[in-house]
Amino acid sequence: MADLINLTIDGIPVAVPRGMVIVDAAKKIDNDIPVFCYHPKLKPVGMCRMCLVDVGTPKIDPATKQVVRTEDGKPVIAWMPKLQTACTTPVSEGMAVRTNTKQVLDARNNVLEFLLTSHPLDCPICDKGGECPLQNLTLAHGPGLSRFEYEAKQHNAKHVPLGDLIFLDRERCIQCSRCIRFQDDVADDHVLQFHDRGRHMEIVTFSDPPFDSYFGGNTTDICPVGALTTADFRFKARPWELDSTPSVCTHCPVGCNISLNTRLETRTGGHEIKRVMPRQNEQVNEIWTCDKGRFVHHFTRAEDRLTHPLVRDARGKLVESTWEAALQLVADKARGARVSGVIGDRIANEDAHLFGSLFSDVLKDGAVAMSPAIPAAYADIARAYGVGKDTDFKQLGKGDTILVVNGDLEESAPVWFLRLRQAVVDRGAKLVIAHDRSSKMHRYASRIVTYELGMAAHWASEQTTELSAELKSARNVLIVFGDEKLSAEGARSLARSLANILIESGHAGKANSGLLPLYPHANTQGVFDMLPATTVTTGKVDVAWLVGVGNAADVPQADFTVVQELFLTDIANNADVVLPALSFAERDGSFTSGDRRVQRFYRALPGLGQGKPDWWIIQEVAKRLGATWQYHGTSEVFAQMAQHNPYYAGLSYETLSQAEPQWPPVGRADLYYGGTAYDNSGGIGSRYAAPAEQSGFNSSLEPVVAPPVDMEALQHLPHTLYQDGELIRRSKVLSGHVRAQRKEAETA
Amino acid sequence: MTLKDKRSADIEIILSKYPTKRSAVMPLLYLAQEEYGYCSDEAIREVADLTALDPTEVKSVVGFYTMFFEEKTGQYVIEVCDDLPCALKGADAFVHHCERKLGVRAGQTTPDGKFTLRTVMCIAACDRAPVAQVNREYRYSLTPDGFDKMVDELKGTV
Ligand code: SF4
Ligand code: SF4
Ligand code: FES
Ligand code: FES
Repeated sequence: MADLINLTIDGIPVAVPRGMVIVDAAKKIDNDIPVFCYHPKLKPVGMCRMCLVDVGTPKIDPATKQVVRTEDGKPVIAWMPKLQTACTTPVSEGMAVRTNTKQVLDARNNVLEFLLTSHPLDCPICDKGGECPLQNLTLAHGPGLSRFEYEAKQHNAKHVPLGDLIFLDRERCIQCSRCIRFQDDVADDHVLQFHDRGRHMEIVTFSDPPFDSYFGGNTTDICPVGALTTADFRFKARPWELDSTPSVCTHCPVGCNISLNTRLETRTGGHEIKRVMPRQNEQVNEIWTCDKGRFVHHFTRAEDRLTHPLVRDARGKLVESTWEAALQLVADKARGARVSGVIGDRIANEDAHLFGSLFSDVLKDGAVAMSPAIPAAYADIARAYGVGKDTDFKQLGKGDTILVVNGDLEESAPVWFLRLRQAVVDRGAKLVIAHDRSSKMHRYASRIVTYELGMAAHWASEQTTELSAELKSARNVLIVFGDEKLSAEGARSLARSLANILIESGHAGKANSGLLPLYPHANTQGVFDMLPATTVTTGKVDVAWLVGVGNAADVPQADFTVVQELFLTDIANNADVVLPALSFAERDGSFTSGDRRVQRFYRALPGLGQGKPDWWIIQEVAKRLGATWQYHGTSEVFAQMAQHNPYYAGLSYETLSQAEPQWPPVGRADLYYGGTAYDNSGGIGSRYAAPAEQSGFNSSLEPVVAPPVDMEALQHLPHTLYQDGELIRRSKVLSGHVRAQRKEAETA
Repeated sequence: MTLKDKRSADIEIILSKYPTKRSAVMPLLYLAQEEYGYCSDEAIREVADLTALDPTEVKSVVGFYTMFFEEKTGQYVIEVCDDLPCALKGADAFVHHCERKLGVRAGQTTPDGKFTLRTVMCIAACDRAPVAQVNREYRYSLTPDGFDKMVDELKGTV
């Protein structure tokens, strides 16, 4: 593998992999060659000429074909007559690069002078100001004065909506095409293009609906100027006023690392999230997020958040109460009673662990379950045969097979879609899809199987032998699967068949191979891991205790219902006690992603009203029931959990918070790639090993009989990214999309 | 009626010439322009449909090439070269004459919808400057009188 090329940059020797361009090679020795159009995540185009450098290669004697050397044996360098673009020139053996000659410095200065001839220089009102590559590079390399006529400056439209989420300022655009290339090559939504040419060249969209992409927000991050802004953040704050807190997105199993940018608002008298930015984690989301992750945050400060405990009074009305009274009431009701607990799969590991402990250690007669119930039926299989610990999506390519069964990657796990698409399209992995309908991923498949609605489990059980034989020769086999249109039994059967395929084809328990479940939320695996196996009580119980279940369909019937929630949902509205919880942004905790990466998130906002974190509420009731728990924070809960939960053994808040330097460096230290929020200071998390990769685990085939098609499950709407829910409904910018997708789903 | 209904045979022929549909975008745009007189928004969407491209990509092609028109043109499109060699032979003054004669500015269409006047870059006939194309047909060594005559003739023919 180590095919290294040696070159010198300003006399400093550096060895880098073959194929690397000079800009990146220079980066390795902290020489920041300025760029505008180049972006390490996009294909180079050499459009802006900002990266010009002096390049030479060893002189070859035409007669002997040998390198010509000076008397002291050094190769003579033949310098190219003109400067070269460092972003498109790959390194070669013996190459010499000069980045500090007068000619190079003049070139930078001139390119900037030229770029600024039609730039409005309205930095004081520009959202990018403070984290703008054009601003930074002008200060570093640009001229103080322009020789161009001020009157000849072009003026263009400044508030062009490219869709309802992204706005374009035509004057600020420097035509670098980063946004176009991102949409074409990464998102594969070809909704942006150049129009006209020369000085009239401008960004347009002519798509219908315009700029329709789940990933559009990313273009505003990589735009090297303030030309692209989001409907959410534009004119809301200046980057330097923002505090940045590392967090993790809660909406899907990917677990994108994000930064919550907050500011103290004098107007509303409290902290608010001003924007959500991707936080670089090359193992998880690289530097991307989807628009759901970016634009759903408004619920954290929604006006209808619960702020006080509520208790049903004698006349049957929910009225404000005190924590003491509410907690005591819950404890009194739960003491000695039959309790049925349900916990939602967005809730943090620490809360779920304490909730599980409550049922195994404190309550005498109770059972606890996860909501939604279907993933709980197969999460043990997804874990056992999940992707190996050292799995790295970037290594998937030629020789590997990705099998997608019964799920829509883009709708259910958008950033996995981006990354696995690149494995197929850019690096040559083979894609096989089996589903009852079409999806965007179908564009890249080399084989497509379509089965009848609800028949996923049947298909998989019938195909096991054949597929296993076919996949034997594959280098790695990654199997992505969803539970659409399946009952709990059906989903379990599907997972089991897919595990059998891994075992039979020899890929169980290996890195870069394994199951990748399309769970509904960010912590489905984590909550499942935390809960003790209890037999679910059927029929009416004394107390139902519901933690963050939203509007789950199947909640237990009970004489007395306790709800921990952010909002007065329909379920909460019918409860006897409603306890105000804190959102993920107002507390610490950890999630376990669909590929079993355990990641920390941190408190970015003060809690709203009298709200309390779920783990605290659970502990307070447990104490009143005689438990001797004394946790002061989530780190202590996590430490206790890791001692008892074998999967999490060896993990701690310290290990999870370690942040290795990421490559390519796009964070705060490098202002050329834009954005001050990329820096990963909160940790890159850690994936725990899949049981199947551990010695002593018995990976053996289990015969599967697919259960009959479940008529009720056929009624489930297929998962869509913007499907209606308590959180997305409160987004100030996405609610229109929610309505549109609801309509679409209903008429489908 | 869509382009597909009106010119399906031509569309078939054009598409059959290329290994991938997207390669046919330029000839199909010419066809659309021939049919509608310019590349209307509707035409762009039709071509996008035929070539399995996003309309944004087709719009970009139309925008890049100066010989695709994005606005309705007159019946006759007069394109006068004002590039350097022609300019040395008095193209600028000649264009002014054309503007006076037609009563519109370069880039505009006469109110009766007959003529569109445009200035263009070198059309490779510098040796016979000033030069123009009228609906793509060359008119060489133009003089003000010759131009007036041409315009009157074209008016009379319709
Ligand atoms: S909008 Fe931004 S990213 Fe797109 S071309 Fe212009 S400057 Fe580049
Ligand atoms: S891909 Fe998933 S985890 Fe990432 S931002 Fe979108 S919803 Fe959140
Ligand atoms: S030409 Fe190299 S960065 Fe733009
Ligand atoms: S410059 Fe006018 S034809 Fe060449």
